[in-house]
Amino acid sequence: MFEESMKKAILEWDEDGLKKMCQSAIENKEVSPVKIIKLIGKIMQFVGDRFEREEIFLPDLVGSANTVKAAIDEVLDPAIKIMGEERKTRGKVVLGTVESDVHSIGKDLVGSFLFASGFDIYNLGVDVPAIKFIEKAEEVGAQVIALSSLLTMSMDFQRQVIQELKGRGLRNKYKVIVGGSPTSEEWAEKIGADGWADDAIEAVSLIKKLLT
Amino acid sequence: MKLNRINVLSKDELQTIHSATMELLSTVGIKIDAQDTRDLLEKHGAEIDPETTFVKFPETLVKEQLKKVPNSFKLHGPDGTFNFEVNTTSTQFATIGTPVKIYDPNNKNNVRKSLLEDMIKQIRVVDSLEHINNSHVDVWPNDVKYTALHAHAMYQWVKNTRKPYGLGCYGKVASQDMINMASIIVGGEKELINKPRLVGFFNPTSPLHFPQIMTNGLSVFAKYKQPTIIAPEALAGSSAPVTLAGLITQTSAETLGGIVLAQLYNPGAPVFFGTVSCITDMRTGNSALGSIETALITTGVAQIARFYNIPSRGPGSITESKCFDLQNGFERLQTLMLAAQAGINYITCAGTYESTLAEALELLVIDDELAGVVKRALDGITVNENTIGLDIIEKVATAEKPGANFLGEKHTRDHMKNELYIPKLIDRNRRTTWRKKGSKDIITTAREKVDHILQNFKPPEISAEIEAQLKEYIKKVEARSFEYYKKAEGISTSSISIAGTEIKADEK
Repeated sequence: MFEESMKKAILEWDEDGLKKMCQSAIENKEVSPVKIIKLIGKIMQFVGDRFEREEIFLPDLVGSANTVKAAIDEVLDPAIKIMGEERKTRGKVVLGTVESDVHSIGKDLVGSFLFASGFDIYNLGVDVPAIKFIEKAEEVGAQVIALSSLLTMSMDFQRQVIQELKGRGLRNKYKVIVGGSPTSEEWAEKIGADGWADDAIEAVSLIKKLLT
Repeated sequence: MKLNRINVLSKDELQTIHSATMELLSTVGIKIDAQDTRDLLEKHGAEIDPETTFVKFPETLVKEQLKKVPNSFKLHGPDGTFNFEVNTTSTQFATIGTPVKIYDPNNKNNVRKSLLEDMIKQIRVVDSLEHINNSHVDVWPNDVKYTALHAHAMYQWVKNTRKPYGLGCYGKVASQDMINMASIIVGGEKELINKPRLVGFFNPTSPLHFPQIMTNGLSVFAKYKQPTIIAPEALAGSSAPVTLAGLITQTSAETLGGIVLAQLYNPGAPVFFGTVSCITDMRTGNSALGSIETALITTGVAQIARFYNIPSRGPGSITESKCFDLQNGFERLQTLMLAAQAGINYITCAGTYESTLAEALELLVIDDELAGVVKRALDGITVNENTIGLDIIEKVATAEKPGANFLGEKHTRDHMKNELYIPKLIDRNRRTTWRKKGSKDIITTAREKVDHILQNFKPPEISAEIEAQLKEYIKKVEARSFEYYKKAEGISTSSISIAGTEIKADEK
């Protein structure tokens, strides 16, 4: 019943409804926050499968992911923290558009897809200096740094993040992936990245591959 | 607003062509072979020249009969569950053509003679499509006896689709067979008349000639009120003047002549003001259906049909290309898009190529996709407070958290299906994904869709009793000789030409 109501809220993008549901379940000790996150993973799997079968479209997926993200960030994660528990994640990804570039849609789409696939996403936004990526990755204990760039002019800042990591002796600690219209597999190789993806769906399978 | 209609004739030009058409009908008239039809026309004030068999249609006769023409009608599938309306503002899509060959990648020429099994597949595919609402006997079953072909086609229609069907009004015997078989299928003539199932084709021979076999068939279709497409296929420069205005005037006279006849046979008989006229290629003498001039002719005829307030039929998706190349693509879309923009109410020829002499089921499903694209274009741009969406623009633009865009907004979800045509075959993947999925071109994707449709097809159920009656009927038809037909139709030709193939009396 609880799972069904959650599913309904997620499919209908009922952010407030979902948050309240989670809140009261935790307060009444009906379901633990860790268990709720597991259920959410199952529901998002259902949403992802429908998307893959072309039964629903991008907005459906992104909207559901946004709804879930709000509940996790504002209700579930704080609750888990208070209980001193740890929740399992498929991996933590720090994501952003590199310095001098303010394009966000492609990168955000990658974020939504990764989130819907069970990853924790730290979306730093646009025009992000190299050092910010590294600080965030260190802070949250990420496994992956994902760099986006839409302009040919800004591509070189992807290289800068890798050089900055090298300079700090952190290069091997993270998988660095790059993407965006002007980039390519060859470019990724040239700058010493660990991988390149052509679109959001590819990015998910690339990260899954890199983390196994 | 909706996408603007295109016009090629000004109000004055329409009036000029109308006057010229009336003059042509009343001073030259139409050569009509059938004595009984000439007699009927004479009774209603037409002037007959017994020697030349030309019939002059006075303007009063034409105007009087035009008053009886319905401006809308519905077409129903065999079991009555599926139907659609044709009217003077509709945009319906259908097949039609004369394909005697079918695309076959396993053949060294990529094409072979079409067979009954191909015809069945085509009917099944149309049944499963979203936008193409009608199939016709167009994929020619070369392995079926010619004189019984219509009976076999009717049988396959009821066995394989829930959509209406169409056939040529080729003679009174065959037309009556189709009506009789349709009546068996739908449970009686009354039901058939109330809810028409069949689209008939009446093609005058340009210039200005109605062969006996065609008027024989038209009289039967009109009697049972099955909608008939009156559509000359005149070629500018050979069977009509090279000037498009001349062709449109001549074919308008032919079409109006056919429409007048249908009303005299049975007042209120539903008809389409049709065209499938094109130009003569000045290098080869061949017809050029995919030409831009065809689209201009179609546009002019659409205007004339509206002038007379009669639903129009015109061709789209037509090409002279013999393969799946760019010519095939741009001629298809140029004729389809312009026909739709011209306001043609029933756009035909989906699935064909090579001047409609060849069929490809792959093209048929692509044409269904194109029909979706065209419909979206016609819908234009809706402007209101909600679609302008000032609120949502402000919300997304001023959002503080990273990751805000329109994709995850309810406004997008609520409007996307109305605003955006979401294609099924058109590829929009990035190169890597496209490569991973097999680097497919649209023909390959279309073939997969055809295979999927055919593998999952569930035929409609028909009662054993109806099935037995139809089989019995086919037997009766098969027993007839070619001579029998000739005698019954009152024709003396020893052969009939179908899509350039001469069929002699003793042949299939």
